Amino acid sequence: MAFEHAIDVEHLTKRYGDLLAVNDISFHVRTGEVFAFLGPNGAGKTTTVEVIETIRTPSSGTVRLLGMDVTRRKRDIVPRIGVLPQGFSSFDRITVRETIQYYARLFRCRNTDVDGLIELANLKDKSKEQFKNLSGGLRQRLGIAIALVNDPEVVFLDEPTTGLDPGARREVWEVLLSLKRNGKTVFLTTHYMEEAELLADTVAIISKGRIIAMGSPDELIEGNANYLVLTLKTVDRAPFEIIQKMGFEPVQDSHKSIKVRVEHPDDVLRILNALKSAGASSLSLDVRKPNLEAVFLKLTGEALREGLVEGVPG
Amino acid sequence: MSLRVIGANLVVSIKTFSREKSAMFFTIAFPIILILVFGTIFLNQDNVSFGLHVQDLDQTHSSAQLVKGLEFDGKVRITLVEPATNAMQYAKDNKVNLVLVIPRGYERALARRLGLVGGLPNAAFRDPNASVTVTYIYDASASSTSTKIQILRAGFALVNQGMSGQPPFIRAAETSMLTKKYRFIEFFVPGIIAMSVMTSSLSGAVTMNAELRQTGVIRKLSTTPITRTDWILSNILYQVMLAVISTMAIIVVSYAVFSVRLQIDAWLFVFIVLEVFAFGGIGMILTRVANEAESATAAANVIMFPMMFLSGSFFPLEMMPGFLQTIARILPLYYVNEGLRASMVSVDHTAALRYSAMIGVFGIVVLVLGIKTTKWEEAK
Repeated sequence: MAFEHAIDVEHLTKRYGDLLAVNDISFHVRTGEVFAFLGPNGAGKTTTVEVIETIRTPSSGTVRLLGMDVTRRKRDIVPRIGVLPQGFSSFDRITVRETIQYYARLFRCRNTDVDGLIELANLKDKSKEQFKNLSGGLRQRLGIAIALVNDPEVVFLDEPTTGLDPGARREVWEVLLSLKRNGKTVFLTTHYMEEAELLADTVAIISKGRIIAMGSPDELIEGNANYLVLTLKTVDRAPFEIIQKMGFEPVQDSHKSIKVRVEHPDDVLRILNALKSAGASSLSLDVRKPNLEAVFLKLTGEALREGLVEGVPG
Repeated sequence: MSLRVIGANLVVSIKTFSREKSAMFFTIAFPIILILVFGTIFLNQDNVSFGLHVQDLDQTHSSAQLVKGLEFDGKVRITLVEPATNAMQYAKDNKVNLVLVIPRGYERALARRLGLVGGLPNAAFRDPNASVTVTYIYDASASSTSTKIQILRAGFALVNQGMSGQPPFIRAAETSMLTKKYRFIEFFVPGIIAMSVMTSSLSGAVTMNAELRQTGVIRKLSTTPITRTDWILSNILYQVMLAVISTMAIIVVSYAVFSVRLQIDAWLFVFIVLEVFAFGGIGMILTRVANEAESATAAANVIMFPMMFLSGSFFPLEMMPGFLQTIARILPLYYVNEGLRASMVSVDHTAALRYSAMIGVFGIVVLVLGIKTTKWEEAK
């Protein structure tokens, strides 16, 4: 039976003593889509995902997974989902292949395509390596393979690339993209906006236990950060003053670079023409649409990750 | 409960064990080393012999006979000291803690006492006041000296009593309470079995509960169909397997190296299983109290080490002061030790039954408590 919504969350609240970790959130995940929960550490992402995975019980609200209430149907739900928990770890002395076989047996699956999973996770030449010898990226890829041993209908990936270096992160993304191509319903949590933008059909931005915006990455950017950022690299002081006189608010964000936020593409031309006629020289220029980081900053006034945002968003 | 799931867990545990050198060491090599070391140290305890240095200044037939008598049927090794040497200096130079000096005139004094005339006793010539004084040159700080002197006094008392011509009043008869004579090593082996089963099941429970929780393995497992019961059952089974392996290793080495003779029957298995229940249960309760793996390991050590020394694993309880014996009687390991000795050494089935009932009740209670307190889902 195929549901339109793989996951339905209504008025979910979760408290730990006095701490309100998740504050009355509602959303749904369509079958077959990649849904990303984007937010900083401590926003309530993991708590929410663990309630949906049936590991935690909600304080109030209802959560339905594949049409089943998560608080009552754990036994029926668990065999139909796959989970990569945050900070995934496994038995140190067991090899990649043995680990996949072990989890397949826990799910009582006799037909698990172990080789197929090893290939999907791109672990072919590591299949005889013990878990303790795997790097962070390899461990996460093994974790993803394990999350698929029971051919689940919904896959949960809780911060699959946190703590990985950029190369290892891209390799995990490759695996996740092939998952997406296979049409699995994926629930992803992340605090990397590139990850959400690259992989997700729908992004929910979560901050302090509440969903503050939801939609496709494009919709979110259009709706919340509909402007362009022009960056000029120059050694002169003149361009800054020219742009300022035109009524814009340029920001000198380092010795050589000026950033200007403009509402319309025509403004870029106006600025460039003005600079040209004034004879000011620029070394390079760059025009960009803002990303989800800017959306997050606009909505919360806080950076998604510290140290990424300077004077002007984008 | 799913046998397939339990089987999968056992496979993982056994593979981990076979690939983990330190686990192999503590389960098999460590108890064997203990057996070899202690077994060798106490190997000759059953036929202990003291060394005694004797200086015979009399150099007569009678004094030679006395020296021969002091050997006590080979229990004392006699080293003769040259009559010409200074006994005191000899003791100092050779670090000898006791030298017995038989004085010149020993044979003459003996002859007067017995009234010997031409080698034959004659009551008319007997002098009841004739006596001889032997001298002990000894180091009072050496612990074995007083034991040796006591043995010598007892020996001389016998000689004196014999000379009085009266028959002895107290005679002794010997009846052993054991069906066969057993050696220290045979007392020691059950203690080592109990100790190694205790350490492996306690630390196994700590690994299962604290370490795997801390690294996040349990969190992953909680998103799979494996149940808490399956998981705990798998681990208990694995602990029983380990206990059997280390017990077999200990027994094989004891038989091969020390030719022990022990009763190996179903009781051995019963005690091992009950001990795994007891200490597995204690371990599970501990890890609930001390959640971090390090503090749980520390807590396990706090329980294990005093228990090892206080519950009579290494030496008989009777050697300890009274209050320590009382403490021992509240330690579960004591009952395992006594039970194993009852079944393996003294072959006393009634006692084995009594001890197994005690450790069994205790084991099952802590195991149930341990299972109940073991967290599985994130309950918060």
